[in-house]
Amino acid sequence: MPFTSFAFILFLAIVVTVYYVTPKRWQWVILLVASYVFYLFAGARFVPYLVFTTLTTYGAAIRLDRINKQYNAQLQSPAHELPREDRKVLKIAAERRKKRVLTLVLLLNFGLLAFVKYFNFIGDNINALLADLGAGAAAPQLGLLLPLGISFYTFQSMGYIIDVYRGKYEPERNPAKLALFISFFPQMVQGPIGRYDALAPQLAAPHSFDYERAKQGIQLIIWGYFKKLVIADRAAIFVDQVITYYTAYTGLYIPIAIILYAVQIYTDFSGGIDIATGAAQILGIDLAANFRRPYFAQTIAEYWRRWHITLGAWMRDYLYYPLALSKGLARIGKWLRKKVNNRFGVLFPALMAEAVVFLVIGIWHGPAWKYIAYGIYYGLLIVLGMLLQPLSEKATAALHIKTDCFSWRLWRVLRTFALTCFGRYLTRAPNLGDSYQMMKLTVTEFNPGILLDGSLYTLGLDAKNIRLLFAAILVLLVVSILQEKGYHIREKLQEQNLVFQWAIMLAGIFAVLIFGTYGSGYDATKFIYELF
Amino acid sequence: MDKLLEILHELRPELDYAHNDSLIDGGHLDSFDIVTLVGELNDAFDIEIGVEDLIPENFNSVAAMWSLIQRLREQV
Repeated sequence: MPFTSFAFILFLAIVVTVYYVTPKRWQWVILLVASYVFYLFAGARFVPYLVFTTLTTYGAAIRLDRINKQYNAQLQSPAHELPREDRKVLKIAAERRKKRVLTLVLLLNFGLLAFVKYFNFIGDNINALLADLGAGAAAPQLGLLLPLGISFYTFQSMGYIIDVYRGKYEPERNPAKLALFISFFPQMVQGPIGRYDALAPQLAAPHSFDYERAKQGIQLIIWGYFKKLVIADRAAIFVDQVITYYTAYTGLYIPIAIILYAVQIYTDFSGGIDIATGAAQILGIDLAANFRRPYFAQTIAEYWRRWHITLGAWMRDYLYYPLALSKGLARIGKWLRKKVNNRFGVLFPALMAEAVVFLVIGIWHGPAWKYIAYGIYYGLLIVLGMLLQPLSEKATAALHIKTDCFSWRLWRVLRTFALTCFGRYLTRAPNLGDSYQMMKLTVTEFNPGILLDGSLYTLGLDAKNIRLLFAAILVLLVVSILQEKGYHIREKLQEQNLVFQWAIMLAGIFAVLIFGTYGSGYDATKFIYELF
Repeated sequence: MDKLLEILHELRPELDYAHNDSLIDGGHLDSFDIVTLVGELNDAFDIEIGVEDLIPENFNSVAAMWSLIQRLREQV
């Protein structure tokens, strides 16, 4: 049941109705049932994966809590206080037991994720290697289908278990409530990746119907559909045509397609998130923000703080910090400070952790070399950016460049956007070889004439559709600029007369219905990030 | 306390530490700064700041950092 189907809107309407007529203390049960019904629609065979993650997470959290309690009891049991040395011994023993539980549950769940995601990839590579060596295919093909949302709910539940391990909060004792936290239907397909301390209390709390909230939720859903159906799915037609037959569309066609792809992937992903956030909002639940106008970022590091925010935050808290603060890296950093260079030594642990994070983000995107290259590309950009920062500061000062003005910020925004577009050559091309060819064909052909002679109207979108696409992107741009300036559009709309409010909402609905991309040959129901 | 301020000034000289109590929530110190800072603090105060201590509340102000340092010094 994809977000873009009529079935989903019907489903949401039924859930909302049942939810608000149910006695408040049982509302969360309605959400749990709705989430599992939603998941069953994706395929009953995927449910065991979800149940496995829920049960192992639940069991491990309870176990960790028991170890903590035993440790605390041991500390307090004797009438007189234990000597410092004994306390230390107890602490180390408890830490060791906790670490064993954590390692096991992480291995089981990330192992399962890696297995379903990468099994075919590894098998294909082994077979290719064997074929090169003259042997026949040996590794079996399971033809596994990726369970819906497995990346997102795995990250979410593993974040929870690490927090319990770190003692950030008490574990959930009701397995059904934990099951809801892991499976809450609006966010389970493609995020945002929620945090237990922010999301779980909201899921369990009683909610009364709030007309204003519901209206804002509906507006956000319409906006999400606009991004997804009017912009993303329309741009996709053009992009797919050019990239699939890129050898026929050389020169300027390719960068235009790549820039449109940047628009497509942003509106596809953030549109889906808007629909999820709006649906949750109608139910009285606030999801974490996942995007903050990423293409307005002035640096690559800032881009990653604005794009897929909940994944970045997850990586920071559960991978980056543990790595950067690990004793091994700290020791190497100290050694480098003495032997090589002070600044480099200080930066070293953070740089290494940063590089690993981007490699992992790359690998997470999918089982293909191009994603690994993409991870390395961003890792390099961030690391180089950090190392070269003092140099670039010196250069701008020496050249007397004014840095506190619009033109300088615009230049930095465009530069950052161009760097992210370069990254999209890597991910959008079928494979690494193709992305290299596409880059080559971009610079070796010069055909600006196509901008004027109507050639762009022959790529699946006619003149009318191209104009419509640009008008829609312009609307998105204006809205984004207003948001960037701190203007709360939906709140401002709330202050207007009812007639005007509904006129805008109806205009939005009709824009989606009339200008949305439907019809044969194009599958509007797929979201790009569903597959990650 | 002076030592802490000295480390902070070296890290990001442009920040007004005396009057800022949203160093993290306000986005003034990023994750990269935090890692560098934690390394320096661990060395200077002979403590071990763990990942579980890396929550905004512990780093939002100089006072919060100082109380974290005090707390860790007393621990086993």
